[in-house]
Amino acid sequence: MSSFVHRCYRFACLLLLVTLTACSAKPNLSVNAQKPSVPLPNEQGAQPLLFEYSDPFEGFNRRVYYFNAKADEYVVLPVVNGYKAVTPDFVETGVSNFFSNLGEISTFINALLQFKGSVAAETFGRFALNSTLGLAGLFDIATPVGLDKQNEDLGQTLGYWGVGPGPYLVLPFIGPSNVRDGFSSVVDLVAYDAAVSELGLKNDEELFLSFLRSINARNELPFRYYESGSAFEYDQMKVLYMKYRELQIKR
Amino acid sequence: MSNKVSLFQQLLFITLLLFTLQACQSSPQFLFSDEEEKLCEIEYSKYQATVTGYCQEPLADLVQDLPREEKSLEIRPIETIPEVFWFNREFQYSFVKQPNKAPLIFVIAGTGAKHDSAKMISLQKVLYAQGYHVIALSSPTFANFIVNATTKDDIPGYLAKDAETLYEVMQKTYQQVKTEEEIEVSHFELTGYSLGGAHSAFVSFLDEKEKVFNFKNVLLINPPVSLYSSASILDGYLDLANDRENVTKMFNRVFDKFAESYNLQETSEFNSSNIYKLFKHANLSEEELKLLIGTSFRVSSADMLFAIDATYNVGAVIYRNHDIGKFESVTHSMKRAYNVTFLDYFEKGMVPWAKEQDSSKTRAQLIFDFSLRSLDSYLRRSEKISMVTNADDIILAKGELAYLQDVFGDRAKVFERGGHCGNIDRVNFVHYLKQQFKGGN
Repeated sequence: MSSFVHRCYRFACLLLLVTLTACSAKPNLSVNAQKPSVPLPNEQGAQPLLFEYSDPFEGFNRRVYYFNAKADEYVVLPVVNGYKAVTPDFVETGVSNFFSNLGEISTFINALLQFKGSVAAETFGRFALNSTLGLAGLFDIATPVGLDKQNEDLGQTLGYWGVGPGPYLVLPFIGPSNVRDGFSSVVDLVAYDAAVSELGLKNDEELFLSFLRSINARNELPFRYYESGSAFEYDQMKVLYMKYRELQIKR
Repeated sequence: MSNKVSLFQQLLFITLLLFTLQACQSSPQFLFSDEEEKLCEIEYSKYQATVTGYCQEPLADLVQDLPREEKSLEIRPIETIPEVFWFNREFQYSFVKQPNKAPLIFVIAGTGAKHDSAKMISLQKVLYAQGYHVIALSSPTFANFIVNATTKDDIPGYLAKDAETLYEVMQKTYQQVKTEEEIEVSHFELTGYSLGGAHSAFVSFLDEKEKVFNFKNVLLINPPVSLYSSASILDGYLDLANDRENVTKMFNRVFDKFAESYNLQETSEFNSSNIYKLFKHANLSEEELKLLIGTSFRVSSADMLFAIDATYNVGAVIYRNHDIGKFESVTHSMKRAYNVTFLDYFEKGMVPWAKEQDSSKTRAQLIFDFSLRSLDSYLRRSEKISMVTNADDIILAKGELAYLQDVFGDRAKVFERGGHCGNIDRVNFVHYLKQQFKGGN
């Protein structure tokens, strides 16, 4: 990746650290505001439900959630739609397969780190088959022959080894995460970076590749901010993310 | 990042599992779009059919490409919409256009559902294939509807008042598509599922007086007979206020069952047939399926409650006299709202509100008003209104199925199985729909 992107990312991380705890999500109440008439369950001494997670970075998280929604609306989705408009379907599929194939490397390593032999073997088989007969990953011929795509990442590996998720965290552009998975995303990014520099591409070619990868990633994600129309979407996404990661780590 | 992507996709499937699949509510349409759906091997029950759909019967063959357009309309002035609903500034609906002169049909969604919920999309596909222009409307209990269209004279769930609001909205949306899309309309028809079915009956009744549309044909799909009794049934599936400890244990058990079932799967990916396998292996008990249905219903009613509260400064789950900022935490409101049943809303919201309008109204009268029974004679004599439901629809209390059959006579169609709306996209049901809606041919 170009040094410019690197510098941006380092700056973003710094900004994240500074702002994480600085913003508040508490209501700024005026004098004549009245307390809600329906009591809070824990005011009645009730235990929290399974879908309650503490959220010390809530002020930061809600701002980034809003930022992501706006970035999606004004920048990301228009670019993605442009991409879809100019590329034929088979090219889109090829691009998607290509990046999915690159992702197998990380899946493979993380499967090994969790002693999941069969997952690692299956992933290795997929990578070998798709990288060769699948023309550098442009075609996915492994799935039809019964080698299923697996899902492992560094966050899951850390979870497997007992590292807790830490508080919920919403990352710019990427979206829902937590401290453990956020850290893992950064490591994944650096690793991907290193892998790509092995390809010996020019700076602008690397930049193009990162760009394409991001567009492809967003294109594959059918999620639209506030499509649910619910004022509680932030809270629901938090529960879903945290629960889903628990489910994955248990697997 | 590719891991991230599939993770997100899968997250959305979990959304489906835990929150939105059940009880005729909104579930995103893309979920079953790209995978060929197979029949499931889950043991049938009316609760299962309500949660996963009646997957023991084949899916109907529906059009692949629906030329659906999302449209929006300013009804209430944008600046009066609370900041916390910044994403709901404008009334949203779907429109499907026919190339030539054709009948136009309005479709009304069920409780808490959006105009593009899976069930709504399925209905739109059938009606489009039958040659109709379609205007699909979110339920008057959906936040976007409440925030934009509900007037001070209406409280969501008061069927006759909702009908007035809907009638206004129908005229406005029709005007918009007529001007912008230059469509030619031969005549009007109307349908809706679940609560939208009951709404359709009341809108049709109003139309007899107002005569703006003169609906030629009206179909009520899986309607409740009494809003009060249906809400009591669904509320009963999730008793957080009195039985919180037990409910919490049950949530954990359901989660563990899904986790275990997910472990058994060879692939970590989700698609429709995997979802069925997940349910098959999880082998949820009747109580657990009810919990999912009850949760889904509560999630919808919590959204509704918050939208009413924020729009009219009621102060039930929000601070009264306080404008909620767009970055402000509303988690506390959500927690409060999840403990409020629909019946609480009825007793503490709707009854006092109705008494303020007309102090002579008793509670019993209101329960009667919020039911199809208040339209009894109209429904009996109106040849243009038909009704379709399932013999095992969970929202019907004892005796209500017989009542529907009595009222609609040979205009009633009852399928043996399907739970609540579980068969809406299945072969036999769609075949029936096509018999009912021939206006475009």
